[in-house]
Amino acid sequence: MEKLILRRVDRQNEEMILNFGPQHPSTHGVINFLVETDGEVLKRATPDVGYLHRSIEKIGELVGYPGFMPYTDRVDYVAAMFANEGYAIAVEKLLKLEVPPRAQWLRAISCELCRIASHLVSVGTMVMDIGAFTPMLHGIRERETINDLIEALCGARLTYNYHRIGGVAFDLPEGWRDKVLAFLDHFDKFLVEYDRLISFNEIYVKRLANVAVIPGPMAVNYGLVGPNLRGSGVDWDVRRDMPYGAYPNFQFKVPVGKGYFGVSGDSFDRYYVRCLEMAESSKIVRQALESLPEGEITAKVPRNIKPEAGEALSRVESARGEMAYYVVSDGTNKAYRVRVRTGSFTAMSVIEDISPGLMVADLVALISSLDVVAPEIDR
Amino acid sequence: MPQTVREYTGSIRNTVKSFWHGLSITLSYLARRPTTVQYPDRTPMPVRDMLPPRYRGFLEVDTAICTGCQACERACPIGCIQISLEKDPANPKQRVVTQFDIDEAKCMFCGLCVEPCPTGSIQHTREFEATQRHIRNLVFRWSDPLKPFPVYKVDKNAEYYPRVPLGSLVRARLETLAWDRAAPVFLPPEPAGAAKPAAQPKVAAAAAAGAAPAKAAAPALKAAPTNGAPAAEKPAVVAPVGAPAADGVKAPAPAKAPAAEQAAAEPAVTLTPETK
Repeated sequence: MEKLILRRVDRQNEEMILNFGPQHPSTHGVINFLVETDGEVLKRATPDVGYLHRSIEKIGELVGYPGFMPYTDRVDYVAAMFANEGYAIAVEKLLKLEVPPRAQWLRAISCELCRIASHLVSVGTMVMDIGAFTPMLHGIRERETINDLIEALCGARLTYNYHRIGGVAFDLPEGWRDKVLAFLDHFDKFLVEYDRLISFNEIYVKRLANVAVIPGPMAVNYGLVGPNLRGSGVDWDVRRDMPYGAYPNFQFKVPVGKGYFGVSGDSFDRYYVRCLEMAESSKIVRQALESLPEGEITAKVPRNIKPEAGEALSRVESARGEMAYYVVSDGTNKAYRVRVRTGSFTAMSVIEDISPGLMVADLVALISSLDVVAPEIDR
Repeated sequence: MPQTVREYTGSIRNTVKSFWHGLSITLSYLARRPTTVQYPDRTPMPVRDMLPPRYRGFLEVDTAICTGCQACERACPIGCIQISLEKDPANPKQRVVTQFDIDEAKCMFCGLCVEPCPTGSIQHTREFEATQRHIRNLVFRWSDPLKPFPVYKVDKNAEYYPRVPLGSLVRARLETLAWDRAAPVFLPPEPAGAAKPAAQPKVAAAAAAGAAPAKAAAPALKAAPTNGAPAAEKPAVVAPVGAPAADGVKAPAPAKAPAAEQAAAEPAVTLTPETK
């Protein structure tokens, strides 16, 4: 069968270059792929990024330190809390500020809720790209509850702008804690239901297992981070290995791809690691709500923020992997340089080397399993 | 990929089984209440009342308790707030706010301007439905330039500041003003050499010259000569008329066009609402 197809392709010379994107729904945003195909088999897929470049790093040099916080929401709008937190931690390091414990706990709670919301979008759209539409709606429905919770907490559903330099903007609203606990009780049941609904569906598993395998060493070499790295079997999580904020106080497991239905590092592992991470995030939120300390929610921050000349680097575990903010101060009230290191950008680089030999439909599985978000690639 | 018969039938069995698992869950949702709500007419109450109190909607300024400290203007990262302060000519000790403009079309609803306000005068409301035909109508002018409001003197011992109910001012504006009303005119800064009164008759003359040979083509042009005189008061009305006038001239009378077009196009450019 395989030979037959290849012979026919050779005779007719069906090699062609296709533009996949930038407005294709499966590219998860405005990304262009130059796809060299030979019939149904890919010769190479070259990502062409830059369509969503909004020069956010440059804006960081032009507005003051507190004024840059709402712009960080736009770095990765699916998981905006982490970008807020990363920038806040970097500037706090510059200012040598000590964040009050309650603020750190609130940061952890908001971030883990945001991680659940982001992973729900990720697994939902991945299932939709493969061809099943219903599970995405189930994921979006749960995410809506989280959006409502976060809206009650900070007033916005997408661009939260909740974290501040030196703490967080708001304390918990009345009755919020019970609502979150009720949601988490429901959510743990939902995860079991979701696994039954799609994760262990035979067609879905066969479609993803052994597809687009990224071995562990290759993932490290390409600088993959977060669930993509852990899906390849590399046990690395910034929350556990380089703890920041309130995370040393919580007990959680770091799920690693073990080759659940195929080889370690295939598309299904990257998908299922996210499902497992949602359960762990739910545990972290419970622990944090239980052990929430009393006290202030912001440190004493000078009104005009002018850090001493120097540089600071913060690393946080975002939903798309390690996010790093590098802020250089020259002693004025505006940053000299703000650099954001995001997981999606490195995830794009691996596509070119993984894609040869894939089927066209598997390219969609690869892109969605890497969970790239276009604005995070370009900033 | 080589497969034994047992593997083949096994995967068919698994497919049917997992298919049934998924469909049983989907079917169970047929009997449940729907999660979605038909917006906007089937909601149990107006959506703005269902939003949490911290919702960041349109900004509202209670001018009665505004101290004119300009802290919100400094905090805004995109500069969509503009405040001008002047001394009251009648009472030199009293400062008045002659301009308090918030461009809600530019605003990114981050909430940074609310935090430094000493009296809570500027606040986010729960209003979010404000469709406007002209984007300039989204510039909320909280101070009337003709009737500037005096700044509020903070009483150190005051326990709270008397504020009107949150959202009432924005809602009053949105409900009383039509969504498709004409946009306000912010005149562009006048260039030094431009003689505006001289340019206006030229528009009228050019339009009339163009209209004479092409009566059938441009019935709309008739308005142009009559509007030429009051153009000084209402440039926004003239500008859209002036632009088609130039096009109308072009088609029927190419010989006259260059001179007429130049005269007509020049003021049209300076008066279009997009130029500042």
